[in-house]
Amino acid sequence: MERGYIFNPHIVVVMDETLLADAQARPLEDLPRGGVALINSARGPIFSEDQAGHVFMRINFTDPALRIIGKPIVSVSAAAAAAKLCGLRKQHVEEAVREELSELGVRDELLEKNLMLMSETYDNTPRYSIKVDEERVGAVELVDPASGRVVYSDVFAAGNAVHRATGNWRVFRPVVDYGKCTGCKVCFIYCPDSAISLDAENKPVIDYEHCKGCLICVVECPIRAISSVREVEIFA
Amino acid sequence: MLVLRAFHKVLGPNVVFVNAAGCLTLLQVYPYTPNKSSWMYTAFASAPAGAQGIRDALDILMEKGRVNSFEDLKVVVVTGDGAAYDIGLQSTSGAIERGLDFYYLVYDNEAYGNTGFQKSGATPYGSATATTPPTERNPTGYTGVKKDLFEIWRSHKPPYIATVAPSHMVDMLRKIETASQFKGPKLFIAFSSCPTGWGFDPSLSVRISRLAVECGIWPLKESVYGKVRHTYIPTVLKPVEEYLRHQNRFRHLFTPRKQETAIASIQEQVNNYWLEAAKNEGFRITVAKPVTIAPP
Amino acid sequence: MREVDMLTGNVAAAWAARIADVDYIPAYPITPQTEIIETLASWISQGLMKAKLVQLESEHSMLTAAGTASLSGARVFTATSSQGLLYGFEMLYNIAGWRAPLVLVNVSRAVAAPITLEPDHNDVLAARDSGFIQLHAEKCQEVLDLILIAYRVAEDHRVMLPVIVNMDGFYLSFTREPVYIPSKTDVEEFLPPYNPPHPFRAGRPVVKGAAVLGGHIYAYFKHNIHESLLRAGDVFKEAAAGFREVTGRFHSPVEGFLLDDAEYVLVVTNSFTSIARKAVVRLREKGVPAGLVKLVMLRPFPSSDIMEKLRGRKAVAVFDQNISPGLGGVIYNEVAAALYHVKNRPETLLSAIGGVGGKYTTVEEFEHVFHMLMHPEKTQPGKPVFLFRADELAHVQTALRLAGYTGEET
Repeated sequence: MERGYIFNPHIVVVMDETLLADAQARPLEDLPRGGVALINSARGPIFSEDQAGHVFMRINFTDPALRIIGKPIVSVSAAAAAAKLCGLRKQHVEEAVREELSELGVRDELLEKNLMLMSETYDNTPRYSIKVDEERVGAVELVDPASGRVVYSDVFAAGNAVHRATGNWRVFRPVVDYGKCTGCKVCFIYCPDSAISLDAENKPVIDYEHCKGCLICVVECPIRAISSVREVEIFA
Repeated sequence: MLVLRAFHKVLGPNVVFVNAAGCLTLLQVYPYTPNKSSWMYTAFASAPAGAQGIRDALDILMEKGRVNSFEDLKVVVVTGDGAAYDIGLQSTSGAIERGLDFYYLVYDNEAYGNTGFQKSGATPYGSATATTPPTERNPTGYTGVKKDLFEIWRSHKPPYIATVAPSHMVDMLRKIETASQFKGPKLFIAFSSCPTGWGFDPSLSVRISRLAVECGIWPLKESVYGKVRHTYIPTVLKPVEEYLRHQNRFRHLFTPRKQETAIASIQEQVNNYWLEAAKNEGFRITVAKPVTIAPP
Repeated sequence: MREVDMLTGNVAAAWAARIADVDYIPAYPITPQTEIIETLASWISQGLMKAKLVQLESEHSMLTAAGTASLSGARVFTATSSQGLLYGFEMLYNIAGWRAPLVLVNVSRAVAAPITLEPDHNDVLAARDSGFIQLHAEKCQEVLDLILIAYRVAEDHRVMLPVIVNMDGFYLSFTREPVYIPSKTDVEEFLPPYNPPHPFRAGRPVVKGAAVLGGHIYAYFKHNIHESLLRAGDVFKEAAAGFREVTGRFHSPVEGFLLDDAEYVLVVTNSFTSIARKAVVRLREKGVPAGLVKLVMLRPFPSSDIMEKLRGRKAVAVFDQNISPGLGGVIYNEVAAALYHVKNRPETLLSAIGGVGGKYTTVEEFEHVFHMLMHPEKTQPGKPVFLFRADELAHVQTALRLAGYTGEET
């Protein structure tokens, strides 16, 4: 029985495709040749393969979720797609989703919407027979972690979190209509991530590398000069 | 986050934030930090004591001539309500009693957010939390009261205490600046709407804060050496229902059946608070009518 | 100040803090430590010492303030005991993890329940996994000396770890013994100023204590503490050599007494060592080749010194003034592990437990331990022997009767 980390997975479900380029996440590490990376993506071919022999399956979880439930909550979609690839029948997935979500207090209309989303994703997921290379048992190399000196766990690089492209978290992106904008600065004041700065004319400039798409600026702009657009970009 | 930003803006870069376990602890996960100032993570119960150590050390080292005054740092404790209202109340009281020269910023999201939204001493009446779930037998959720931390602090008569809300930034910035002229404990409780825990779309965060203030749920006030002054008076209180109905944590008060008594009691508490404050400070206020149910 | 004075262990500790020119003393009172902080408060108030003493509202806060002050560049001294040590226990691990090189004096006292005041070592030994260096004093002079050595070892850039110096409550804390107090110039020669590499300062922002997620990263830092603790053993020996040059007194992690041709050896720590020495002398007078090994350093555990001093002996007893319920003596088990691979390890390794709750252990009881070493067939291997006298048991039974205990529970 496997517990904790899963080594040599046959399927890796990547619910946020921006993680593919994230050096800390590395979701495809240890995916063997022939293994499937099932990716929540709004664009690209359904099937492709990379140089390492990983099979990429791209399915759009987010937009159906927005359409059916109204929020980008994609867990049932991920479950449905993965279950289909494993050969599980839709009725069983439905039973499981019903039971799990009911336990969490999801009822009535919301539960039905989730089941609708699950069903649609299940149907849209192509069948695929996964053929994975034999599990390679490699030799492990142990090293001595001694360093011979005191190593402090302090962080000295002040403000280095700016290198993390948290903008990848966006599902919607705010866009300023500069024709309407009066430069009142309300959006600048209320951005919790300090992702809006002001240019020479006091007009807002959004730092899309760090805007998480909370959309407070859209709601707070007194003249509705900011609109929200579905985000499909990813950052390297 | 907005409050932290405001503090950074007013106090400048020469600050050390002293933190106890909570949501903001994970702002820094090794090896990254978003802060350009210093940050010290202590332990859940003892951030004010950690602040004491840093402040005292800098003071004695400056007195002994080993540190220059331009190397000095302002000490700011940052914790959530769990630390401030519950486990860290003892060390806060000690720090205030000793007249420690520090700021304390509490981001109050009315529960233990970082661990999954369990009830804390700051949880208000009627709130659903992970440990006070509304059930058929106990339909109201939390049936206790929110501790009055402002009054607990105020009984120590520190130089400055203020409540702030991110929707009212000018009020907040002015208060931080006012506080900075005092030596000793300068304490802030910040209304911190929490989309994940309270159950609303993040884009409404500032709007919820504004509603809390307009409904009278979150009074904006300050205390200077124990003397209280409200800095914003919502002259006509909006009914608390307007604030409650947007949040999933209060949804059970409305469906499957509306809990009129519970909502009325919340309204009554708010009304009584403002009537008393109005009397003490001599301002006028129109309270919202609690919905009363006729006896069967 | 006089060069030598009759001082209690507590006042000796206070003197060490004074001549080490400590900067910050966070305090919280607990018996039998209070005399330390009272003495320091009085000196500071009179202007005899330039330091800041602040009473915090609990030991947990006291230890937190101690740690953060140390990280801010202040040389920190603090003291506590049993319940206080345990109340602030999580902070011990924090302080070591923060690499804050402060000195904490523990005035040992048995732990509740039942609540008591007299000493044993369950309090200080509970801290053995915390990452603190641990030094144990036999005499009041050692209390002073070990604190000075502790600062030098702790603040060494190859170590940067905190130290606990343990002294027995009452037996040392409140007993006056002659103590030589080193002069200011001697201390300045021996102990350089505290100079941590990254203290909190304006213009040099740093994050300390950040969360580390990712087991291998945490493991790396924890391993670094272990590595530094091991190095501390060698740094201690270096410092002790320097201390001897300045004061003429020599301290080593493990000390031997009449060991040369000893066949029967007792391993012991802290103040009861002095009683055990008398037993060894009496046995020698009777022609028994008895000897004694005193552990001064408990962390890092001085395995190689122990192996060297105990190999080839006929029989060794380890005296534990503590009980790990369900196992036996703590130090016995650590010594046994050190001896496991030694080729000519002693045939008999006996565990003797006594002095729990401060119960006085007489010379006769220590002699009795040696008799058991000489007649191991009368003991069960691996089973600890409890030093508990018949007259003491009779007294306990009287007390139980007076308390109304009938022993007739349903």
